[in-house]
Amino acid sequence: MLLAYLPFMVYPYDFFRTGVAALWVVIFLWTTVAFFWFTRRFFPGRSLKHAFFLWLVVWAQAVWTLTKLPPYWILSVFFLMPVSFLENTAKPGHVRIFSKKVLKYFFERALAGIGFAGFVVLLEFIREIGEKRLGIHAFEQPAGLLLVISAVAFLWKNQPYSGRTQSQSIEAELGAGPSKPPLMKRKQRPGKG
Amino acid sequence: MYFLVISLAFLMAVRGAKPAPLQNPAEGLRRVWREAIDFFLTASLTLGLWTLATAFEKIQPGARENAILGLGITAYLLSQYQKKTDVFFLTVFAGVFMISSRQGDFFHGILLAGTVSGGIAVFQTCFLGLRYKLLFSDVPGSMKGWPILCLLAGAIALVLRGLGNLVF
Repeated sequence: MLLAYLPFMVYPYDFFRTGVAALWVVIFLWTTVAFFWFTRRFFPGRSLKHAFFLWLVVWAQAVWTLTKLPPYWILSVFFLMPVSFLENTAKPGHVRIFSKKVLKYFFERALAGIGFAGFVVLLEFIREIGEKRLGIHAFEQPAGLLLVISAVAFLWKNQPYSGRTQSQSIEAELGAGPSKPPLMKRKQRPGKG
Repeated sequence: MYFLVISLAFLMAVRGAKPAPLQNPAEGLRRVWREAIDFFLTASLTLGLWTLATAFEKIQPGARENAILGLGITAYLLSQYQKKTDVFFLTVFAGVFMISSRQGDFFHGILLAGTVSGGIAVFQTCFLGLRYKLLFSDVPGSMKGWPILCLLAGAIALVLRGLGNLVF
C-alpha cells in the first residue's frame, strides 16, 4: 500500500481532487479484480500478464481522453493487486461476513481498496495541514510525505498487543510475569519423587 | 518532475530488478547503473518512435490522440524484449509520459530522459549505500523494514533537493 501511494505524490491536486482520484483507483481496482477473476479461464499461462497490462494501458488512455488524469494511477492499481494475480495462483478460499460466505480473494481486495482510500485521504489531510496551515516547507517536496509514511509504517509495525494474547498483554502490564511452566513447579518440590 | 523522479527511484529501489546481496555493494552498484542505462535507452527509443509517428501528417492526429496507448504498448514491448520486470515497464511508461507532456522537441526529450534516469541512479546509489551502512548499525527491531526504508528515502530526497537547488 505504501508503494501504491507513491504515484499520488506526483499529482499536484488539492485534497478533494486527490480523494476523487483515489476513489477512482479503488473502483478500477475492484472492477479489474472482478473482470479477471471471472474471465481467467480465457487467459492461460502468460497471456494473463499481457492482457492485464494491455487492460491498464487502454484504460489509462481512456481516462486521459475523458478527464485528463495523468496515467500514474495505473502504478497504484498494479501495486494494489496481489502478487499471486499475475501467476494466476489465487486459491478460492472463503470467509464469513455477516453469516454469508464470501470469496476470501474478493474480501481481501475490498479491504485493500478501502484501506488505500483511507490512507490517501489521511496523507493528503496531513499534507494540507502541514503545507498550507503550518507552512512546513518539507511538505512541498517528497521528503515530507516520506517521513510521514515512515512514521505511519512505524506505528503500524509496532501496534500495541499485536502478536500477543490478551492475557499475556494484561500480565505484562500488571508486571505479574508469565505463569510458571509445570517443570518449574515440579522443581520447587524436590522432596517428592 | 522531482516528485516523479523520487517516486520512481524509490519504486525501482524496492521492487526493481533482482537486487544484489547487501554484502556485495559493488555488484549492487553495477546493477543499479545498468538498470539506469537501460531505462534511459528504453525511454529514448520510445520517445524516438513517438516523435517519428507524429512526424507523418497522415497519422499525426491519431498518434497524438492515442499517445498514451502508443507509448504504453511500445514501452511494454521493449521491456518484454529486454526481459525486464513489470516495475521497470511502469516506471518507463510514467517517465516517458511525463517527458512527452512537456511538449519539447526530441532532443529536449532525450535530455529529460537522461536527467530522470540519472536522478533515479543517484537515488538508488545513495539508498544502497545507506542500507549497506545500516548492516553495521544497531537498528532497533521496531524500525527495521518499511520504517527505516521510508526514512532513508525521505532523507535522500531532502539532500538531493538541497543539492539540486545549489547546482541549478
